[in-house]
Amino acid sequence: MNSKALHSVKVVIKNAIKISLSVALVAATHAQGQKSDWKTVDQMSAEDKALFDPNHATPRDASIPYIPAEKFPFKAPYTAEEMGYRSAQFSHISRWSHSISDVFGVVTSSGYVNQGEWACFVDFSQPGIEGYINSPVGQELGRWMLYETFPPESEGAQQLWIPIRSDKVEKKRLEFFYYSPSMRRVRRMPEPRRDQRFANNAQTLDDVMGRDPWEFQWELLGTDVLYETARFPATRSSITWNEPGKGFVERPVSSIKLMGDDFDHYTSDGGVETWVLKATTKEDWLPDYNEKYLIVWVEKHTFFILRREKYGHDGRLITIESRMSEKENPALGDLGYTSKMGTYWNIDHDLISYSFHDAHQPRVWSDEQKNMIFKAEFMPREWLFEPIPSQLRLDSPDEFFLRPHLYPDKFPNHRNTTLPPDVQSRYQQQEIAKKLVFETE
Amino acid sequence: MFEGGRMIKNFVKLFVLTMLMVLSTVQASTLSNTLSKIDRSLATFDPLGKYVRKPVEKAIPRLKFRGFVRQWSDMLLEKNGTIGSVNQDYRFLQLQNLFELQTSYYIAPGIDVNAVSHIMYDGVYDWQNSDGLSADRSDRTNELYNTSERILREFYISYRKPSFDLKIGKQQVAWGKMDGQFIDIVNGMDRRESVQLESEDYEWRRLPTWMANATVYLGKTTVQMLYIIDFEHDRGAAPGSPWASPLGVASKNITVGTSRPNADTFRDHQYGLRIDRSAGALTYGFAYMYAWDKNPVERIVGTTLSGSETVLQVHNRHERLHHFGATADYATTLQNVPWVGNIPAVFRIEALYTNGVRFTDADKRTDALSGTITDGTVKRDTVRAAAAIELALPSRTTFIFQGSWYQTLNYKEGLGYGFGGGISDEWSFIPLIHAARPFAFSKDRLKLEVTAFPLINGSDTGWGGLKTKVRLRYKFSQFLNGEFRYTGYDTGGANDYYGQYNQYDNFGWELNYEF
Repeated sequence: MNSKALHSVKVVIKNAIKISLSVALVAATHAQGQKSDWKTVDQMSAEDKALFDPNHATPRDASIPYIPAEKFPFKAPYTAEEMGYRSAQFSHISRWSHSISDVFGVVTSSGYVNQGEWACFVDFSQPGIEGYINSPVGQELGRWMLYETFPPESEGAQQLWIPIRSDKVEKKRLEFFYYSPSMRRVRRMPEPRRDQRFANNAQTLDDVMGRDPWEFQWELLGTDVLYETARFPATRSSITWNEPGKGFVERPVSSIKLMGDDFDHYTSDGGVETWVLKATTKEDWLPDYNEKYLIVWVEKHTFFILRREKYGHDGRLITIESRMSEKENPALGDLGYTSKMGTYWNIDHDLISYSFHDAHQPRVWSDEQKNMIFKAEFMPREWLFEPIPSQLRLDSPDEFFLRPHLYPDKFPNHRNTTLPPDVQSRYQQQEIAKKLVFETE
Repeated sequence: MFEGGRMIKNFVKLFVLTMLMVLSTVQASTLSNTLSKIDRSLATFDPLGKYVRKPVEKAIPRLKFRGFVRQWSDMLLEKNGTIGSVNQDYRFLQLQNLFELQTSYYIAPGIDVNAVSHIMYDGVYDWQNSDGLSADRSDRTNELYNTSERILREFYISYRKPSFDLKIGKQQVAWGKMDGQFIDIVNGMDRRESVQLESEDYEWRRLPTWMANATVYLGKTTVQMLYIIDFEHDRGAAPGSPWASPLGVASKNITVGTSRPNADTFRDHQYGLRIDRSAGALTYGFAYMYAWDKNPVERIVGTTLSGSETVLQVHNRHERLHHFGATADYATTLQNVPWVGNIPAVFRIEALYTNGVRFTDADKRTDALSGTITDGTVKRDTVRAAAAIELALPSRTTFIFQGSWYQTLNYKEGLGYGFGGGISDEWSFIPLIHAARPFAFSKDRLKLEVTAFPLINGSDTGWGGLKTKVRLRYKFSQFLNGEFRYTGYDTGGANDYYGQYNQYDNFGWELNYEF
């Protein structure tokens, strides 16, 4: 064998070893993060089966014919539909009056990062999903005033969101005002389209405002145990939260649990038991909606949404949302959990968004505050009447969250986790490096 | 100074060299790798934020500041030599560099002192060889903001209570929410870019004035009161500036002076009142302003002989005006629209009726030359109004249609320009069409905007030309963004509003760094 051929053989062997090691590492990573605890309905434990009512045709409410007759928050055993209604309590923006610093961002596969930081003041006159269900159609549910503090380009810009109870006839879900400091003008804007990504983000309007449970056909696929949802990279060992009353508190990322510190139902190995639901859009309610169905992992006791996958009409996986929670409003019991932080991975464009809700504080707004803050006329005053500082913005693309787990083996009859080859490659590299691997690396 | 053609050649050389450098890098890696490296290095590029803003704000916690640096250029596609009264021997219409700093100092709860300072240098006069450009010699501010009045743009103290705001000092107030100016009447404007001044530039082009600005918030109603001591007149594109009108004809009239409202004279002060109210999906408001016309009108004060010819002696004077405005908007969702399903939509209207606008009258001027005693002007009322619909279409596409109407009431032939009226005619109509969308392949960093401004005049002159603007905006990072744009002026006659600029098609770019 000449030296050239020998060299070629060496290169082939080296590459083979590299590929084998990579595959082994990816497999090991998957094995660690993806313990196969999922069960179909048939395989569920007797205890779980006792909590589930497989009935699809439950009586309807006399005054609102499209909702169940049994009153929210329902009693066990729960139908899949009732689980869906319970999970609807946990929209991205908590359904009670509060203030937060919303720190969010997006990263592309090239490492372009775009972040934002908003001081959010939220007033709900009709709190909770129950308040939403029972409000007359067309009525406003509350007011959200969002003051942008980052990036410098939009510092001082403000948005006023007025969510509205909608139904099959009254489609408007939002009154939307925008104040641009560079134009010094408040403009009433058309509401964003529900199923369309915001520009420079993987989230849609429905991801933020929540979906109406009666617009979907609910089915229970089974149960699962989750150990990880939003994932920090190896480059970020701690984060600093703003905790009202305590100020900035540094937390090792390894100590952050899926349902927060006060959750009583972690499994012995730190997992969280979930119901896995399939929500298929009803054509008559959501014609031309981008998403055909959602697969949703909801915590078994609270029904908090820990993971949600969105699938298109062609069956492709569009987005994976993964969330971590904290009980920020203990007065509401199991309904007081919030989306503390979450990631949204848009697979079509390999776009990863994150959102942190820092410094969450339940609020009771005074009449004076309501009359002052939550009005379009307040915006030109450019008055950040209560700054909510946060330290959660990323300093570099390397600190960005990982893409969520794929769990290709779970519920394979209902889930298609095939990725485009380039995205698959980046996903695998990320699993090995434990941080995002951009196009140069 | 160097010649424009050579400058372009140098730009081309520089571009080729840059491309060669990029390509050589590409050899070592791939194009996407190079772009990715640029993306990741730009992600944290914020030198003024990191090394100036943060340390200063840390050292002086009561002080907040931010700012931006902007490079802003427009270049004619061709030099066209003599056009009407203009010698277009230049290529660049603007080479502007603007640095702005906004500061706010907290004094006590509800009391802040705010200042906005900026400095602008326009290289068009120095960086190209032109005989046609001379406006920097008659007024240096055409080239450089070198006066305290220009540099200290805003300076006011604000006092805020939950139901009351008071701002006293030099400031600008923007009324209205349409594309273009309808009830936006409070401040004068620097219109150096003439027909190319766009709504998003008003912030930097308004001329702030000294005033007291109080707003009372009464539940769903807001009442704003303005007491304006100072007066700033509009600045147009000066003769010898890149956008000087080709229609400008050297007047034979002799101007004997210009009278402007005086801040020291109580009766010259201006007053404004605005009331807004919101009721669910509908918001509406009314405005009144007792103001001065921002542009003076020539009044004949006599005649004299210039050689053997009798010419008019004119005196420029501003006229008192009563403005009555109204604004409203309404949001809805249009349902089951063919092809696109449900479409969120907003309707907006805005109108301004102005009483007592003074116009020059060609007939009276002719009479004056024959010995009749007249000031050569007439008074008319005008209406300018706009109605718009904005739609949120699929693919993050925004579509706006805005019909803008300008009317001179009781119009007669021979009237000159007057505030709010038709453009050299009884009425003018601009059915503006705007569409914008970001591109998903660029991860929404690239955005295309197309706007068309057709102009129709009546009842006499008809078609007045078409202005088209195409913009490509790109976000380089959280702190840096840029834009390429093309602005074209087509059709219309040489005497028309847009038509006069038919040989001013231009290509421009903009680079912004905000910290």
